[in-house]
Amino acid sequence: MLDLLIIGAGLTGLFAAYTAARAGLRVRVIAKGMGATHWHAGTIDLLGYLPDVEEPVTNWMHALPALPSSHPYRLLGEETITKALGSFQRLTVAAGLPYERAHANMNLPVASASEEQTPHNLEPDGYVRDATPGQNCQLISPVGAARPVYLAPAAQLAGNLEDEQPLVIVGLEGMPDFYPALIAENLQKQGHRARSATVALSPLTRRSDNSPLQVARMLDQPAAQAQLAKMVVDVVEAGERVGLPAVLGLSAHTRLLTQLHETIVDRGSRTSQSHDGPRAGLAVFEIPTLPPSVPGMRLDTTLRAQLARLGVRVEIGMEVCGVGATNRRIEWIETETGSRPLRHRAHNYMLATGGILGGGIRGDRCGRVEETVFNLPLSAPQTRSQWLRPLFLDRQGHPVFQGGVSVDARFRPLDQAGAPVYDNLWAAGAVLAHTDPIRERSREGIALATGYAAATAVASGL
Amino acid sequence: MQTVSLNSVGMTLDACIKCNICTSYCPVSEVTDSFPGPKYAAPQSERFREIGLPLSEAAADPNSGAPGAGHSPDASVDYCSGCRVCNEVCPTGVRIAEINARARARMVATQGLSLRNRLLGRNELMGRAGSFAPGLANFILHNPLSRRLAAVLFGVAAKAPLPRWHHETLNRWLARTRAQRLRSERKVVYFHGCATQYYEPFVGIAAILVLEHLGYEVVVPPQNCCGLPMLSNGEFGAAEGYHRRNVASLADYVRAGYPILGTSTSCTLTLKEEAPELLDLEDDAGSQSLKFATWDIFEWLRDGLDQGQLPSDLRPLNRTEQPFILPYHAPCQLRAHRIGKPALDVLARIPGLDLRESHARCCGIAGTYGYKTEKYQIAMDVGAELFDYVAAQAEESDSVAAGSVSFTACDSETCRWQLEHGTGLPSLHPIELLAASYGLYDLQARRPADGN
Repeated sequence: MLDLLIIGAGLTGLFAAYTAARAGLRVRVIAKGMGATHWHAGTIDLLGYLPDVEEPVTNWMHALPALPSSHPYRLLGEETITKALGSFQRLTVAAGLPYERAHANMNLPVASASEEQTPHNLEPDGYVRDATPGQNCQLISPVGAARPVYLAPAAQLAGNLEDEQPLVIVGLEGMPDFYPALIAENLQKQGHRARSATVALSPLTRRSDNSPLQVARMLDQPAAQAQLAKMVVDVVEAGERVGLPAVLGLSAHTRLLTQLHETIVDRGSRTSQSHDGPRAGLAVFEIPTLPPSVPGMRLDTTLRAQLARLGVRVEIGMEVCGVGATNRRIEWIETETGSRPLRHRAHNYMLATGGILGGGIRGDRCGRVEETVFNLPLSAPQTRSQWLRPLFLDRQGHPVFQGGVSVDARFRPLDQAGAPVYDNLWAAGAVLAHTDPIRERSREGIALATGYAAATAVASGL
Repeated sequence: MQTVSLNSVGMTLDACIKCNICTSYCPVSEVTDSFPGPKYAAPQSERFREIGLPLSEAAADPNSGAPGAGHSPDASVDYCSGCRVCNEVCPTGVRIAEINARARARMVATQGLSLRNRLLGRNELMGRAGSFAPGLANFILHNPLSRRLAAVLFGVAAKAPLPRWHHETLNRWLARTRAQRLRSERKVVYFHGCATQYYEPFVGIAAILVLEHLGYEVVVPPQNCCGLPMLSNGEFGAAEGYHRRNVASLADYVRAGYPILGTSTSCTLTLKEEAPELLDLEDDAGSQSLKFATWDIFEWLRDGLDQGQLPSDLRPLNRTEQPFILPYHAPCQLRAHRIGKPALDVLARIPGLDLRESHARCCGIAGTYGYKTEKYQIAMDVGAELFDYVAAQAEESDSVAAGSVSFTACDSETCRWQLEHGTGLPSLHPIELLAASYGLYDLQARRPADGN
């Protein structure tokens, strides 16, 4: 029998599965569909904003005490969060999709390093070794706003707005869902030296309405990579770093990134105006696009590949339709099929279904807000008039998005009286209460840290 | 006249949140511009089609003034292969492939059906016709000249992996070996499907041998084509006739509580879900009873395994010391059952078997899709992901001399033929492996171990 059945295949569920499988547990992941990883920017946003504070968080470690005591980060503490991030970074480095901090010196990613090797800024115990631990950087959003981000894939780091190097935002004619002029204009308004340029995809495709994913697949081909590098370098002026939509390849991403960087640097060294000397970072970076998110898909693919190697099966297309429990133990859950329900049994179950966006929480017209799998008690307001505040961008966020499942220190869901609802049920990720991941810009941090902690708690109980 | 109603399929389109995950994973729109992608063809376009109106000739003509005039689906819907990967990955439960299938039926109702698509839908008729003289039928169908003619006249791709008639149908084997068949109080019904009856009777034989080994008498009642080829080609009226005849001929067994087991994942999916859902038979008592009585054979075996009822006398399949490496592809038609990978769960019990699960989305063939001239290359391009995976397993195993890859395995017949076409390796149904592991079946000769 399985030790742990995880419901949900987003970042939370997949990373919890990875953590549990590495601890020696027999794990399986089931999910109704693909995870919200496909919609996010592909970065690890840890804590960007505090409740009711306009200014972004510059250092999440300093900001933790300002969070309410019930916040999942306060349950975890700095040490556990740091360990979770260290484990995640080691995974990504080993898989050839390294996630790093903008303040660490960036090198080009090297694929297929051993999992036992650590990123250069990590101690083996997972502590980040640098002068400014906990410090966020400011990356560029699809409309040119600054996004407080903690860890980013190598491809996004050079977009850090704390760096003063001028920017050129390059759009692709033939991929309508990216707006270089808008981004450059907004960056200028924030005091950055930025301009926009466009290169035409017409030498590569006849299509004029390519989606980010279509362009990324096209750019896996060596000929297309060379062609893009040639076109991009023609619009870059000396000393500029180049922002492109996040479409720089799927499977051959690192090769394209390297080629673009080298082409731009080569050209720069041949230009007389170039006198900045060798720069630490890449000359090129990606800006997230509208969905489907190519960086999100790269991360999802990487996590799945690691899980397959660990013998963890991820079954998509399974929606829970029944739960069997005696006293305080879940005995089985059932998922919907083309015929009779399919029964799953495991020693432990983890809820990683997400919040309202991910489908773990559902609201109806009458104002009821439900947790969709186990119908667990939620902290969300059960009256529709109390769901939302009048202002869409209210600094305090909206109560309905802050509602969720309350858990104890071991991440077991609690009932109204504060006792665990089931002894073998755990919850992690955006389904948790007392956090507002979108408003806080903490989605991925919550996913990784609580997924890690809950999986560790399951493993320690066996 | 077929009507398009607001049933459970149509209602799901409101759950679409436009996240584009379906289009990201659609294997068809990745390789061709002829299909814009599931989101565009199904939930997005469906809003502009007049739901709930009867289909009529007049509706196809935008100037007729008829209700819904000009709102016929556009031709790109026909390029949906029906693999249902979109349904699988959709995070909000939209029945995208079924919306497309119903849209295709509207097109067929208004614009008619080509002779080719009508023939491809008549799998059973073709099978039966050829089975009277299999050698002659194989010669007529498979010589290069007739394949060329079929391509030019009908649009059946010259290189498509059409099956060959077997010299003996499953029914004739059953009649010939009647005396050896097990009689028992414990009975199951076997639904063989057309491909097993006419082209691959050995798959059915392997299933019967395994079930008898478990102590079950296998009842094989008269049965029809499940209707899926007609549903895929938009011929809903004819499909309904076939489905209703199956419901009637299996009704007594269903009522008596016999499980209906199938080795063809697409037939069992049709009996379970596709026919009742697409044909608006969700309130039909007979269809519903059959739906809940039908099992994929490995789904049923896994249930027995969980209850400790599966005999454990499984022997290694490898004759040498080297492990038996087996690339296994769970076909889309099986994944659409939403029952996990039961064949993997059961075959994992075979000692020394090194199962390698392909995570490829689709082999490309999608029933009759890859047989069509205009779609053959699309199907091969879709399948490349799977063919490459198999080749990688073969390459890797040669380089370390850890064992060779001499077979692939897949639960669905047309997918097996496509796999053979794309990889050059024979492709087995997992039940053949299980039968061989019980010592009942010869994998190389694909016949019972006792030679019968």
